[in-house]
Amino acid sequence: MDRECVSLLPRVCEVLAASGSSLPDDTSLEKLLDWFTGLTKAGTSLLESCPCLLEFISTVVHNTALDPSILSFTLRLTGFVAVTEVAFKVLQESSVLDLVFNLQHWQEAGLWEDPCIRIGWIQGLRTMMQHPKALSFFVQADFLQPLLQLQTDKSLFVASAANQMLAHVLLSCQSVSSVGSNDVDEEGEDVGRSGGSIADLEYSAVTVETNQDYAAVVTAISECLKKSLVPRENTQLHQSLQILKLLALLLAQTRPPLWEKLLQMVADSVDELLVAGYSQLILPLMDVILAAYSCDVNRRAPDQRVSRLLSFMLNIRKPADLIQAAAAFLRRGLHDLVHTAQSARVLLLPLDIITGLNLLTTTADEQRFLMMEQLKNKTSCISLICVCLTNTPQMTLMAADCLPCPPVLIVTAVLSLLKLCSGDSSSPSSSSSGCREVSRNVIGSSKVQKCALDALTALSGSPGVEVKLAEVFTLLVQCLDNPDSDPTVLQKSFQALVQWMSVCSDLSSITDQHRQDLLQVVRKRSCDIRWEVRDSTVEFLGRLAGVRVIQTTAEEASDASVAVLGGCCFTTPLLRAALQDTESYVRASAISALAQTLAASWQQGAALTQEQTEIVNQLLEVLSWDTEGFARRAVVRYFIAWLSSMSSHSCVQSPASSSLLMPSVRSVLSRGSADLDWEVKVHTLELAELLLDEAFSGQRGYTKGNPTQTHPYAVIPNTLHTRTHNEEDVVGVLNSLVQWGVVSALLSGLVDCDRPVALRACRLLITLREVVCPLSLGALDATAAMATVARVTCELPGCGWAREIRKMLVMKAKDANAEGGVSGGEVVNCDDCGEAGQEAASVGGQTPCVSVCEVLRSLDLDERLDVLTRSSDHVHNSPLSLLQDILTASSARSQPDTQQEVIADCY
Amino acid sequence: MKLYCLSGHPTLPCNVLKFKSTTIMLDCGLDTTSVLNFLPLPLVHSPRLSKLPGWISKDGTINLEKELKDCAGRVFVDSQPEFCLPERELLDLSTIDVILISNYHCMMALPYITEHTGFTGTVYATEPTLQIGRLLMEEVVNFMERVPKAQSATCWKNKEIQRMLPGPLKDAVDVWTWKRCYSMQEVNSALSKVQLVGYSQKVELFGAVQVSPLSSGYSLGSSNWIIQSHHEKVSYVSGSSLLTTHPQPMDQSSLKNSDVLILTGLTQMPTANPDGMLGEFCSNLAMTIRAGGNVLVPCYSSGVIYDLLECLYQFIESASLGTTPFYFISPVANSSLEFSQIFAEWLCHNKQTKVYLPEPPFPHAELIQTNKLKHYPSIHGDFSSEFRQPCVVFTGHPSLRFGDVVHFMELWGKSSLNTIIFTEPDFSYLDALAPYQPLAMKCVYCPIDTRLNFHQVSKLLKEVQPLHVVCPEQYTQPPLTQSHRSDLMLELQPPPMPYRRCSVLNLPFRRRYERVYILPELANSLVPSEIKPGVSVATVSAVVHSKDNKHTLQHGITEVKVEETADGHILHLQAEDTLIQLEEDGTHIVCDNNEPLRTTLRDLVLRFLQKL
Repeated sequence: MDRECVSLLPRVCEVLAASGSSLPDDTSLEKLLDWFTGLTKAGTSLLESCPCLLEFISTVVHNTALDPSILSFTLRLTGFVAVTEVAFKVLQESSVLDLVFNLQHWQEAGLWEDPCIRIGWIQGLRTMMQHPKALSFFVQADFLQPLLQLQTDKSLFVASAANQMLAHVLLSCQSVSSVGSNDVDEEGEDVGRSGGSIADLEYSAVTVETNQDYAAVVTAISECLKKSLVPRENTQLHQSLQILKLLALLLAQTRPPLWEKLLQMVADSVDELLVAGYSQLILPLMDVILAAYSCDVNRRAPDQRVSRLLSFMLNIRKPADLIQAAAAFLRRGLHDLVHTAQSARVLLLPLDIITGLNLLTTTADEQRFLMMEQLKNKTSCISLICVCLTNTPQMTLMAADCLPCPPVLIVTAVLSLLKLCSGDSSSPSSSSSGCREVSRNVIGSSKVQKCALDALTALSGSPGVEVKLAEVFTLLVQCLDNPDSDPTVLQKSFQALVQWMSVCSDLSSITDQHRQDLLQVVRKRSCDIRWEVRDSTVEFLGRLAGVRVIQTTAEEASDASVAVLGGCCFTTPLLRAALQDTESYVRASAISALAQTLAASWQQGAALTQEQTEIVNQLLEVLSWDTEGFARRAVVRYFIAWLSSMSSHSCVQSPASSSLLMPSVRSVLSRGSADLDWEVKVHTLELAELLLDEAFSGQRGYTKGNPTQTHPYAVIPNTLHTRTHNEEDVVGVLNSLVQWGVVSALLSGLVDCDRPVALRACRLLITLREVVCPLSLGALDATAAMATVARVTCELPGCGWAREIRKMLVMKAKDANAEGGVSGGEVVNCDDCGEAGQEAASVGGQTPCVSVCEVLRSLDLDERLDVLTRSSDHVHNSPLSLLQDILTASSARSQPDTQQEVIADCY
Repeated sequence: MKLYCLSGHPTLPCNVLKFKSTTIMLDCGLDTTSVLNFLPLPLVHSPRLSKLPGWISKDGTINLEKELKDCAGRVFVDSQPEFCLPERELLDLSTIDVILISNYHCMMALPYITEHTGFTGTVYATEPTLQIGRLLMEEVVNFMERVPKAQSATCWKNKEIQRMLPGPLKDAVDVWTWKRCYSMQEVNSALSKVQLVGYSQKVELFGAVQVSPLSSGYSLGSSNWIIQSHHEKVSYVSGSSLLTTHPQPMDQSSLKNSDVLILTGLTQMPTANPDGMLGEFCSNLAMTIRAGGNVLVPCYSSGVIYDLLECLYQFIESASLGTTPFYFISPVANSSLEFSQIFAEWLCHNKQTKVYLPEPPFPHAELIQTNKLKHYPSIHGDFSSEFRQPCVVFTGHPSLRFGDVVHFMELWGKSSLNTIIFTEPDFSYLDALAPYQPLAMKCVYCPIDTRLNFHQVSKLLKEVQPLHVVCPEQYTQPPLTQSHRSDLMLELQPPPMPYRRCSVLNLPFRRRYERVYILPELANSLVPSEIKPGVSVATVSAVVHSKDNKHTLQHGITEVKVEETADGHILHLQAEDTLIQLEEDGTHIVCDNNEPLRTTLRDLVLRFLQKL
């Protein structure tokens, strides 16, 4: 612990004990507790490190007139202090513990009514109860009953904390009992995970007597669960809900024999609850059953009682509850063929009814009738269908013998549903008026449409559904063409289309008419009145370009954009038009899409077209003139993509594209590093990094990526040593980096006011330094070894960042001179680095040049990295600052005169 | 209470309600779809249209070369277009007391009703309805008179001949009621009978009923009407809208508790959501302009065009259409654009508040100021010298049979770069385009109909809960082309009463009460006796005086003593000191010096004796 903090803590305690109202803000106490939590977790004994806490607790606990928030804080603090047995003993011996957790004490003072006291009491106990002594203390003080009462507290937070605490108590009792009874804890890890750190503690103190106490606690809790589970009246539903939550928690974490005991105790009540059929309790009830069932399944053959309960749940009469239960079961992903198949049947029933497709061969007539009645109500119809659709993709991944019908039929049903939604077709079973009544509930429902499209997207991966591609294609194009489709529906339709084309890479079933329809609709949507739609369209064009497909068996693979839209001749003009869009998101998406569209031609090293040259010019203009950051960021990313694809295929680089790329990259580096948006600058540095990677790949000492992330003892792959260290090479490369503007970009980033920019630049500069002039060589060696490299210079123009760099260099030189060192005197070539000198240089038309190596070695990059790595608010958020703030606020309060505002007379 | 239905068109209604002693015509819609059977009237000589072959029946027996022309595989009447009038034979139109107009689209038949039928009543409408209605009538008259056609085709209407004609002429109904357009003089005369009313203003009709317009939210000054007596209430809902467009929002609450609700003017495009259509309109427009083509929008000169221009105002920049000229061509273009800006009190709240700012309610003013929107009375004159392409042209008539639009169809129809976008829902676009086929230009159908859809109207009816609903029969079944869409019809309990052209409905409710006033002197003389707590009764003997459908009880003869005589009875009216002697062979009235009373009594006695 920080010494300064330790020295301040007693005064802070005094302040808090005197009056809590002088806190700087209401989060101070929470922050203090966070600090204590951290210390406790780090293994620090609070009482040893801060003995003042004992006095603080005993003072506060007697002063019930204090602010309840301070009292609650003290309760919780006591828990932290007593977390070790030693400290616990000290507290107990000084009688503080008894008083702190004495209910009567708080009740008599009239403070128990305040929920913050109650929650402080629970949390204090909960924190403390990490060792058997604390558990004994809990049992002997007979805290169980009040805790059970708190479980139905009117404050939800208190009730929930009480629930957690009860589970903790029970699990603690289980651990201690099992240790006490020499039952070897074969699942000690589980306990550690669930119940805290009890397993670490010694259990020798557990006597037979305490064992009996614990058994009594277990029985009392189980009894309470049993008794309160079934609500006697509707107002008690909340209580049942709480009990169910607790039960789910317990059944998931307890082991035999406690698990069996619990189950035995509550089984009848659960039965009763099931029969009562409270819809609000269905999900928590299912959680309980599934918790029991999962535990059970994982251990051995399922318990008969649990299986029966589960079967009961999956055959409930109320359709809405039934669907919820089935969905909950399916989400668990348990390996139970019978129940999984049953759940799938339940979840497919609404789809079967509404579409009239025979998805299910057999269903109980009564269940079908009840479901149909429920579906006639519009609100419940939509919600039921949505639940079914959400679970559909998961169903298709199930084993074939669990599914009542092949996945292709499910795809057909979803397509049919989408047609119903758009009002285009009637249900095939529309002969019955019931079905007509149901199907009209989904007409125009965009909620169902969205769910169905999500399901359709997910279904693309199901086995054997490829045959549906043409049908899916037609329907999605219809959705896209429908004037009433809302932007999200259109977006999801585009996504589904891309997904289906990427999964079913064989597009031979797509006809020319399909293509024409898609072309028409894409053209229309790219002019849509809503920017979200234009954005989705442009995104679609980009994504499509990234999908590899085969059109006919005879043909080679191409990208989907070429296959269905005719490729660049269609998409590029649309995307170029989107560059003029008024909405910056659309412009940004268009730039990304252009990059994706052109990626193939870059990778193939195709010759540059006039259009591509125009695009580059347009993008450079966007980078210079666009008022929104999104578009400018996208431009830099475009060049990153281009450069990456060129680097990875350098063997096929076309000189023509390089001749356009490199000058453009240079412009991007200079414009991007001068941008106002920090993300543009970070992207620019990424571009610079790519150039560094490209320039030094294989060079000794060059590590790709973040140098600080490399482990000092990591084995360096041999490949890195393959290229011999040739100084001439380095000089050449460094010269090109300077010419491309990489070094300038890095230096300007280094002095940037945005931390992420400066951090990235700093890391890259360190990487560069390690390659060209590693510090490890020492100053003299370096001078000798890199005499040639040191001659590589870069310009420091008169603009802001360069001035900063110059100042830093001068400072460094002065320091070096003062220390009598030799380096640094010649860092800056111009004679005088002061303002006068700069002016003289610029007047004379000369821009001062500096040696890159010397700059890299003189900038104290490592120290800078250290500072930048820390978060910008690390000072503000430190415990020391917190303690100081509390003290300052208190002194300001005690001297109110100093705080008085200056009142000016106004006439 | 009876309802006479004179029009079969659900959105261009013309019904007559007989309620108490009044005869009220509800709207005066003119079905203009008949013009689709006629050849277009080109503003500039069209070689194509002038050289069309005449129609002769296949066997050569019927030769109507002069009247009918074969154009693009269809037969059209070559004469001035004619309109289908409301039924005039169902009842004597001269008996109509008042005509209530709900919006400017529903008054186009007014001159046919008010002129030459002996109509002597009053027409009630709001000010924007009158002014914009006048513009629309003026526009139609102008369109017709600009291209005069001396010929009037009547032979084809002969039943025997019509039977032999190819469709759709063969299937045209009531062709003998079709009439040529009225003159400006008739328009002026008809509109001079209009009396202006404001929303919620109560107008007494002969003391019998009270009528009051309510905002219907569909167009500037559009209204629904409440027609009520003391104990009965009839609501007339015509074109109404719940969408937030330019007019004042619809007043729904006043429609509550109606005995009968007559429901007309629902959307003609129940499956086309106006927002979606607006989006389609904009994207197709942008697509065409980007490809270097022109856009033609056949539309009325008032109504949705204001919303279209407002939408485009926002869309122009995002679609990079800033330099594309927009032209609005109509003889009343200028008046329409300016009128819209001055009817502030009839606008939606949002636009009303703009009146207090230094900016006009509609942004088309800014489009005009910045020269993005230019308006011209016709293609002749200034327009021809300033016309630049590619451009967007808004012009009438949406039927494509007359007006400047005919010229643009001839001019642009041959190029696939151009697009025609239909926004008005009144005409089938395929029929409208029929005489221009084959057509290379793209056609986009984006009918924007903001009137209530079935979902909205069901909700509305649930809220206002009328006892009975009367509606056109088209609303009681799903559309013919979408028979599975049971959501596109009215399903009510009790079921709505459907009507069609020429139906006469006995509205299913009886008047049970009538309000009668008691004069104070008479009221004072009453002696109520309590028959049970809170309920007192008194016998009243008085004279009912009825004038202007207002009934008043006045003092009359109160004390009558009846004496039996051997031959009959003697009634002694004590206060009047009069005797009425009723005997088998004679009746005598003995009344000194009160000749008027004697005469009255004599007449009364004679009436009763006759009844006996």
